[in-house]
Amino acid sequence: MLKTQELVKVFRTEEVETTALNKVNLEIKQGEFVAIMGPSGCGKSTLLNIIGLLDNPSGGEFYFNGIEVSKFKEKQRTNLRKSNIGFVFQSFNLIDELTVFENVELPLLYMNVPSSDRKKKVEAVLERMKISHRKKHFPQQLSGGQQQRVAIARAVVANPKLILADEPTGNLDSANGEEVMELLSELNREGTTVVMVTHSPTDAEKAHRIVQLFDGHIVTENVKKVL
Amino acid sequence: MKEICIPISNLGEDEIAEVILTIGGKKTSYSFRVESFPWSVDQSQSPSDDESLHASLEQIAQLRSSISNYDNNWELIQIYTPRAGASHIQVLYRKKNGH
Repeated sequence: MLKTQELVKVFRTEEVETTALNKVNLEIKQGEFVAIMGPSGCGKSTLLNIIGLLDNPSGGEFYFNGIEVSKFKEKQRTNLRKSNIGFVFQSFNLIDELTVFENVELPLLYMNVPSSDRKKKVEAVLERMKISHRKKHFPQQLSGGQQQRVAIARAVVANPKLILADEPTGNLDSANGEEVMELLSELNREGTTVVMVTHSPTDAEKAHRIVQLFDGHIVTENVKKVL
Repeated sequence: MKEICIPISNLGEDEIAEVILTIGGKKTSYSFRVESFPWSVDQSQSPSDDESLHASLEQIAQLRSSISNYDNNWELIQIYTPRAGASHIQVLYRKKNGH
């Protein structure tokens, strides 16, 4: 599903050049659950941003479902992203001015899904995430765990093939963190590919494979379970 | 509660920290060890950019080799960021279940 070849990302300012990713070769198959670990600043989030088509690499190749996308323009990336990828962030990234229902509805609006279909899909996913009783509330009226459940609902409402999670339990207490990890595992068992950046060895145990990044390089890959 | 941070003082090379966790009467034991792998390459006093890049790649290659040749009964948990100029890099391992 995803394949990078000699992927390079360099951030430049007038004075400094930082190589965040240095010739990264990684292949992720449809249905896999992959955890990316490594110390702060090793390139984890940069890699996730490129895999998620939020950013282009400076060099190398990136294949998304067999298509080389590393030189795609922003509009092409957006089109591919909105129909294929759901994002879950550490800080939830919900829009405070929108209700729970409206936050979850947003990806479907971008995809021009008709109103009646939107309502059905949003209701169904809120039900599944056990948060439908809060659909008229605003994010600030919810606990952290509830906000992350809404964020996961938003990530999966359009039925993406790939979920990218950046420290999804980083702002949660352990009970809510475990619940979020169970939701991600369940989505993976149903066929969704999950790529998760984490500092938590416990969360990483849920993955099929743990990729250790260091200084912009993959230093080791540890297969935990066979897909 | 998902993780507990336990301060361990002076865990030396070849020493293993054994942690026995009892929850509801059920005991689980974990063994951890910290390894130091070489993290230095021969460099001139004031290396050029190219030489620095080469040194960095050599360090990574050295680290990869150390990790891949390590005892298979132990799994890598964390690589610690070395201090500037450090000659060794520390890596945390945990004994695999059933070993």
